[in-house]
Amino acid sequence: MKETKRELKFFSVLQWKKEEQYLRWQHKNGWEFEKIRGAVYHFRKCKPEDVIYQLDYHPDSKTRKDEYIQIFEDCGWEYLQNYAGYSYFRKSNSQMDGTEEEIFCDDDSRLEMVKRVFKGRIIPLIIIFLLIIIPNIFNLGMENAAVERLLFVIFCVLFIVYLVLFVSFAVSFWKYYRAAHKG
Amino acid sequence: MDNHIKKVYVPMTETGFYILLFLREESHGYSIVKKTEQLTDGEIKISPGTLYGSLSKMEKDGLIRFVREEEKRKIYCITELGTQVLELEMKRIERLYKSMMEAR
Repeated sequence: MKETKRELKFFSVLQWKKEEQYLRWQHKNGWEFEKIRGAVYHFRKCKPEDVIYQLDYHPDSKTRKDEYIQIFEDCGWEYLQNYAGYSYFRKSNSQMDGTEEEIFCDDDSRLEMVKRVFKGRIIPLIIIFLLIIIPNIFNLGMENAAVERLLFVIFCVLFIVYLVLFVSFAVSFWKYYRAAHKG
Repeated sequence: MDNHIKKVYVPMTETGFYILLFLREESHGYSIVKKTEQLTDGEIKISPGTLYGSLSKMEKDGLIRFVREEEKRKIYCITELGTQVLELEMKRIERLYKSMMEAR
């Protein structure tokens, strides 16, 4: 019988590097990644091994899925699943000759991925922020009924959450940008 | 050739250069990886994410075009515009190399 486990774990749309490290660390401890559903990671017991996990963000890869996956598999990367626009890949360290491989080999393409995440995930958030959250804060702020008061508080909390997300994205974008242009 | 293409592709990344170089003959993505590895004695290893990103960007910009599909692999070929860009880039690298040798 195969032993399995589930773990609840949250990563924001910006934390794919942390997520990759998390999956690698699990595999090193004998838990191979099976799938992710919601924020629940499913693992299967396996022989502990150093396996590199990598995430790519390519929402348009759905329409060219066969070609996309084939290129990765030709290069020895196993395709695991697509989740919210992110594709999950893994390759064992023992299959790499000495140097640790990544799915990107230059900073230009790393920056391109950050830009795709920005377009696909952050711009929709900015639109929600400007068209829904800010107008509601202004409108509800003037009302006095209890329901409106509660909604006002909820929108204020959302306002702060969004602001934190935007700032953290700006910081990570800046880091990638600096890395790509320093050479 | 418009200025936008020039600005984006001259100079270009190493991956971009090898893609155009090898797509003067019809080939699919992975064969570009293999040929690059052979030509550079394994020194340049193109990663799949970088390769796929460059291929789709170059196709969108009209530097390469899709020819046909073979067992889930798309075969591409360089276009007239792509050839012009490659020639510009080759001239730039030649000039760079010449300067380097003279200054050494």
